[in-house]
Amino acid sequence: MSLVEIKGLSIRFGSLHNPIHAVRRVDLSIERGTIHGLIGESGCGKTISGMALLGLLPQSARVSADAFRFDGLNLLDVAKSLRGRRIAMISQDPAAALNPVLRIGRQMDDVLKSHSGLPRFQRRAAAEELLAATGLADPRRVLKSYAHQLSGGMQQRVVIAQALATGADFIIADEPTTALDVTVGAQVLALLKRLVQERALTVLMITHDMDVVAECCDSATVLYAGHTVEAGRTDELLAAPRHPYTQALLAALPDAVAKGERLASIEGHIPSPFAVIEGCPFAPRCASAMAVCRQAKPPERDDGNHCWTCHLEPHHG
Amino acid sequence: MDEPLLQIRDLVVRYRRTGLFSAPPPPAVNAVSLELPTGSTLGLVGESGSGKSSLLRAILRLVPVESGTIRLDGDDWLALPEQSLRERRRAIGVVAQNPFLSLSPRLSIAEILAEPMTAQGRVPAQESRERAAEMLERCGLPGTFLDRRARELSGGQAQRVAIARALILQPKLLILDEPTSALDISVQAQILNLLADLKQELGLSMLFVTHNLKVVRHVSDKIVVMRGGRVVEAGSTEQISLAPTEAYTRQLMGYGRNLSGAEAALCRNRH
Repeated sequence: MSLVEIKGLSIRFGSLHNPIHAVRRVDLSIERGTIHGLIGESGCGKTISGMALLGLLPQSARVSADAFRFDGLNLLDVAKSLRGRRIAMISQDPAAALNPVLRIGRQMDDVLKSHSGLPRFQRRAAAEELLAATGLADPRRVLKSYAHQLSGGMQQRVVIAQALATGADFIIADEPTTALDVTVGAQVLALLKRLVQERALTVLMITHDMDVVAECCDSATVLYAGHTVEAGRTDELLAAPRHPYTQALLAALPDAVAKGERLASIEGHIPSPFAVIEGCPFAPRCASAMAVCRQAKPPERDDGNHCWTCHLEPHHG
Repeated sequence: MDEPLLQIRDLVVRYRRTGLFSAPPPPAVNAVSLELPTGSTLGLVGESGSGKSSLLRAILRLVPVESGTIRLDGDDWLALPEQSLRERRRAIGVVAQNPFLSLSPRLSIAEILAEPMTAQGRVPAQESRERAAEMLERCGLPGTFLDRRARELSGGQAQRVAIARALILQPKLLILDEPTSALDISVQAQILNLLADLKQELGLSMLFVTHNLKVVRHVSDKIVVMRGGRVVEAGSTEQISLAPTEAYTRQLMGYGRNLSGAEAALCRNRH
């Protein structure tokens, strides 16, 4: 059974008559012990889907789903009680996630105090061990430091150590490498990969960067305008994308064409969150759109370990 | 055309010591030499702290230079007196990483585009507006955007305004500091296409700073890699991307093609 099983998740804000559709129809299935990428451009609903998993949505959000399960538990009921016990989060900006006026040791201790149940004299050793596990060379010095005395990569490692300190087995990483240098980011991704193997973790990697997906994700889900449009194993998704949006996204990468040639950009804009979408959300921008695409919801297609939603018959793609 | 537009020789930039008795800090830019031929694009690559920004600031004459020369468009750029600098600075346009930080939220787009013109002397309001509208259209936005404000724009639209502002005084050199890293992939493609068009139409020379190797390979004719204030590698794009000699460049070039050795490489570097 998948660790996370989401079907038809919808999140709305605002009035009942004219709601803001933050998430319209997201399906997400994450296997245990894998890194799953959640790919999408700004405003497609990837971060808010992550917030929903953490139970961090504001009161005003109206959430509905056909299925919204974590390890068999209905998350609509228990998300808040799982956060910090089984689900932890790593945010984009480690400097903002750490308290600037407390030493790292104190911050690690706070997490361990409320989650591990260890007595005080053992917590210090546990903190050192966790920091060492995240590849920090001198945990003792790090424990005595303030956040600003550490580099961005070290800060992100401390944040990862805190996530581990909660004992969580599912980590939501929201663009964990965007604020870091490319090579430092690659090291953080390699660390996450190693931790997933060593500690049987599961990671949801929220990102808009295809390099990150290629680098570390076993499988991925592509979102567009609050819809899941395609999901599958990373190698298949990147090598043979089936949905026109995924195809267009990959074709827009600078290495998709020869040097100096024009890049394929996607014309138009994402639909407004107020818009009522009758057919396929991507139809107005899709190069191969047909009349039916604007009128009816596209069917779900599946070729074994790769699924997508599109009116086009597979052999057209 | 023989002389390169920008020619830097043995440039050293060093910031001031932190205390009266402390040792002077190591130079932020250490004996850097590079050339940017007219009409070409030079990609400048390097991690944080490698001296890229200090080099850019030195070219803009925003930090004092310890030694070395910069020749821009035939001038001894560092020797120009302050009085003529304001007038000559129009030879350089700058586009920053985050358009929402570089565009004032309080001004209309027309005012934002008029500022560089005003800084160069009085321009009649009508003419300034016409030039702004023309440049905006060249950058792919309709003239109706003139009355909007930056906060009403999407990231891609705002970056187009920033490019229009950089180009409004018809500079010869365009400096781009991570111009697409804050943008989505499809918007990044639009901006890169726009820059390629503008380069051809206006005969611009570009200095393109980025971490993104896919982008730098796509846009540059030559690449310079900096580390610790020095140029560690320089050459044609093909040369650098096919046969990088520096470990750091290799690491960068391999990224996105499953670079599982990153952590191992870090450990090796430490010991």
